[in-house]
Amino acid sequence: MMKRLFAGLAATVLAASAAWAADPVKIGYTIAKTGLFSNAAPSQITAYDLWAEQVNADGGLDVAGEKRPVELIQYDDESDPAKAAQLYERLITSDEVDLLLAPWGTPHHLNVAGVVERYGFPMVGNTAASVAIREVAPGNIWFPTSAIPDKIGPELAAMLKEAGVGSAAVIANVLPFAQENLQYLVPALEEAGIEVAMNESYPPDIKDMTPLLTQIKNSGADAVIALSYPADSFLYMGQARELGIDQPYQFLLVGPTIAAFNGAFGPAADGIITLGHWSPQQADWTKAQPFYDAYVAKYEMEPDYLDTALAYMSAEILQQAVAEAGLDHDALRSAIANGSFETINGTIEFDGVENAVTPTAFLQRQAGETHIVWPPAIATAPLKKR
Amino acid sequence: MNARAAWPVLVTLAGAVALWALGQAVGAYWQIVLLNVAMWIALTQSWSVFSGLTGYISLGHVVAYGIGAYVVVSGWGMLPLWLLVGLAGLASGLFGLLVAIPVLRVRGPYFVILTFGLAELVKYAVLNVETMLGKSSRLIFGAPGTETLLLAMAGLAAAATLLRHFVGISRFGRGLAAIREDETAAETIGVPITRFKVLAFALSVTLPGMVGGLMALRSTYFEVLQVFNPTISFTIVTMAIIGGNEDARGPILGVLFLVGLSEVLRSASPQLYLICLGLVLVGFVTYAPTGLLGLLHGRRARR
Amino acid sequence: MLETVFSGQLLFAAAVLGVLYAVIGLGLNLVYGTMRLLNIAHGDILMLGAYAAFWWFTLTGLSPLLTLPLVAVAAAGLGIGLYVAFFRRHLASGAHVAVVEARSLLIFFGISVAIQNAMAWAFTSTPRAYRYLDGVWHLGDTAMTGNRIAALAVGVGVLLAMLVFLNRTLFGLEIKALIQHREAARIVGINVDRVQLFAIGLGFAVAGIGGVLLSMTEQITPFMGFPFTIGAFVVIIMGGLGNIRGGIVAGFALAFVEIYLVTLTSANLRSILVYGIFVAVLLIRPQGLLSRARRA
Repeated sequence: MMKRLFAGLAATVLAASAAWAADPVKIGYTIAKTGLFSNAAPSQITAYDLWAEQVNADGGLDVAGEKRPVELIQYDDESDPAKAAQLYERLITSDEVDLLLAPWGTPHHLNVAGVVERYGFPMVGNTAASVAIREVAPGNIWFPTSAIPDKIGPELAAMLKEAGVGSAAVIANVLPFAQENLQYLVPALEEAGIEVAMNESYPPDIKDMTPLLTQIKNSGADAVIALSYPADSFLYMGQARELGIDQPYQFLLVGPTIAAFNGAFGPAADGIITLGHWSPQQADWTKAQPFYDAYVAKYEMEPDYLDTALAYMSAEILQQAVAEAGLDHDALRSAIANGSFETINGTIEFDGVENAVTPTAFLQRQAGETHIVWPPAIATAPLKKR
Repeated sequence: MNARAAWPVLVTLAGAVALWALGQAVGAYWQIVLLNVAMWIALTQSWSVFSGLTGYISLGHVVAYGIGAYVVVSGWGMLPLWLLVGLAGLASGLFGLLVAIPVLRVRGPYFVILTFGLAELVKYAVLNVETMLGKSSRLIFGAPGTETLLLAMAGLAAAATLLRHFVGISRFGRGLAAIREDETAAETIGVPITRFKVLAFALSVTLPGMVGGLMALRSTYFEVLQVFNPTISFTIVTMAIIGGNEDARGPILGVLFLVGLSEVLRSASPQLYLICLGLVLVGFVTYAPTGLLGLLHGRRARR
Repeated sequence: MLETVFSGQLLFAAAVLGVLYAVIGLGLNLVYGTMRLLNIAHGDILMLGAYAAFWWFTLTGLSPLLTLPLVAVAAAGLGIGLYVAFFRRHLASGAHVAVVEARSLLIFFGISVAIQNAMAWAFTSTPRAYRYLDGVWHLGDTAMTGNRIAALAVGVGVLLAMLVFLNRTLFGLEIKALIQHREAARIVGINVDRVQLFAIGLGFAVAGIGGVLLSMTEQITPFMGFPFTIGAFVVIIMGGLGNIRGGIVAGFALAFVEIYLVTLTSANLRSILVYGIFVAVLLIRPQGLLSRARRA
């Protein structure tokens, strides 16, 4: 708590010393500090804080040529998407922020999309992952993610087919993101000629997976695909190790990119495949490793390879668009929609609401490092058997 | 209608109109705060109709909210909104009737835990149904704006307040209060306890179903866990306790107090707000068990 | 199928889960049985224990099991503190049982919200986890992770110690007397206040120990406790509120339901089965599956 206090003081002092330069650029966002999704919030807050700190240390945000300090305004949306929308209205109308950053999660993005549309206020999204994002009216919101279920399924099937997998055991959490993936995954596997040896769903509050894992073990499948959320990814890993689930390919949907996951399993997490399209190992992305190092130096843990990277990228995109277009909404909108951005995840351009460059990709933990193993175009290491 | 009965009706309706009119005058942000105030009043008054009067604490009122939301979202785009909201109330009311007879035989802590467990059971059942239907995500487009929702919600808040008031002063309400004092004694003096409890319970969950149905429309993306979130049940109980249960003014005081506290503290530090909320609740239960209403009538409450 | 059902693997899983449920239920049962306090903050005491073990292991690198005595004492202190601050006078006033229950539910709810958010404030809600005794041991066909064996062993030890304590020592018998008949206990000269103080301390200590055991296999967050509070309530309802032995049996029964019924049906039905049985028990036999009817 003391550390936090000092960090707060330091930030205040920093802000004060920068104040002589110019009026700060106010940037607002909401996040689930409390409620259902609050475990996910820190991965995104840390990205925003690091970004703001770096920008200020660099003399401020380049607003079409003029450097101004940035000031983040954060509200708690209580994990309630409707509350998030309400608070974005407040940020726009009452706090009169200059820029917006995105909240966490698909439901929140979809709700806030309505607000930014109404006010014509451009916002770069990040942690939304659903085919539903394509239903959003384009123009004021963009999604840099490439982790969209209708692409994840076919890509996963393609990767496994290339690895020579003949059959897969699929288990899925009943929550929306997992089920949406399931919907596209099963047909894709069948089309790729991979037999679905098992297909079972389970509730989010499952406490023991031994029965499911025994079934997987007896299924004789070459690969395990667990469409899991963080808590059940932990459960899977712990118990799969115990039972000696030895399928050479094991995929977990959400969870393995979190620092605590590697903290809990260390070398045992080696070979686990998961969803993600960023890694500091990709040398072509020159900003990737410096970001990783700065993050680890500041927070003494690894970033979340999916959420933290996405959040940071969205801030980078915003930063580069503002450098070109300034704060005017119309100019900014067209700068984001038509620009090409250099981020920790390489070049990013948008087509409509979607990222038109970054392919849907998968990560694998190899000897304590997280590598991109699919698709070959951006892979940093070949897919390995566990 | 005589004057004694007319006054509360006039005051309540004036309050609802004022809430709505205020909504026209303020910006988008405060409009939604008012919507939340109306929502919590409707929920807490409804809760009080059963739990406040009988002393059976329900920790599962979110089940009505969730069922209502599910009905409206399932039928969205197929039927007109007013009909869907009506169906939402009907569905949760019927659910209340259906479960009331077995559930209300259970007393004390068993009842509290049972209502909670029942809400969780329904939540997981709905999740399973959605999985079986292959509905991974439901999107709601074309929902009415905040102003329309506020108007409807102010109406529900007024209806719930009047319900609580008139049940409270009726023979029915006195019967329920007798059950709270001593159920066995109430039975002896001829209160039809089963019929009264079942009726009160069904009444108490009907409006929350409609509230849930309306509130589901604020979110573009429907999530089962969100509309069956047990925090809603806990918040209702907290507001009722802090406000006081003596009459229909209690829940309103509780709602205003907590929403106000939230507006003041939440943006500064959400965790600090929740820590305060916890301590305030402990403080009220320990030092002012009759709630704000009791504090306002200090002398009478102490008797 | 049958081979799976009778495998040692499922038995081990059910035993580990059963011990955890039994320990968690026992802590709650001591507090409810003696004083009729509905401790809805029970899971949060587990959470505090889990954080203590996590920080201890992270900072010193020593076995988290070494924290057991310290966590037990600290949790007991917290329980006793809460008892003195909020419940002692009220219980002594001879309030009606229904009032005690309702009031304690609300007080503990407030405490739960405050504890969770104080922890989130202090440590953020970032999930934490650590690696301890994670080697896998084999006994015939059955594979067992070291930390799960440790949880099983410590849990069984705690349960046995508690059973011996409650049945063989004077203090234990006084607690049991209080659980069975409050007024009679007072009349025969038991110092009710002292016994209650001790019982709540003991209940919280057991919860803290449960938290340390959980921390070895679960991810740790400020909000991890609530599902365990629910689990504990399911267990003590099945066993009969205040029935110590019944609660322990019910802990294992619930674990067996979760493992074996799920094996025989489908994982998808897990929560519906657990809550379905829970609701059914409350409706049909609210005094618990394992209790004879008892006086209030």
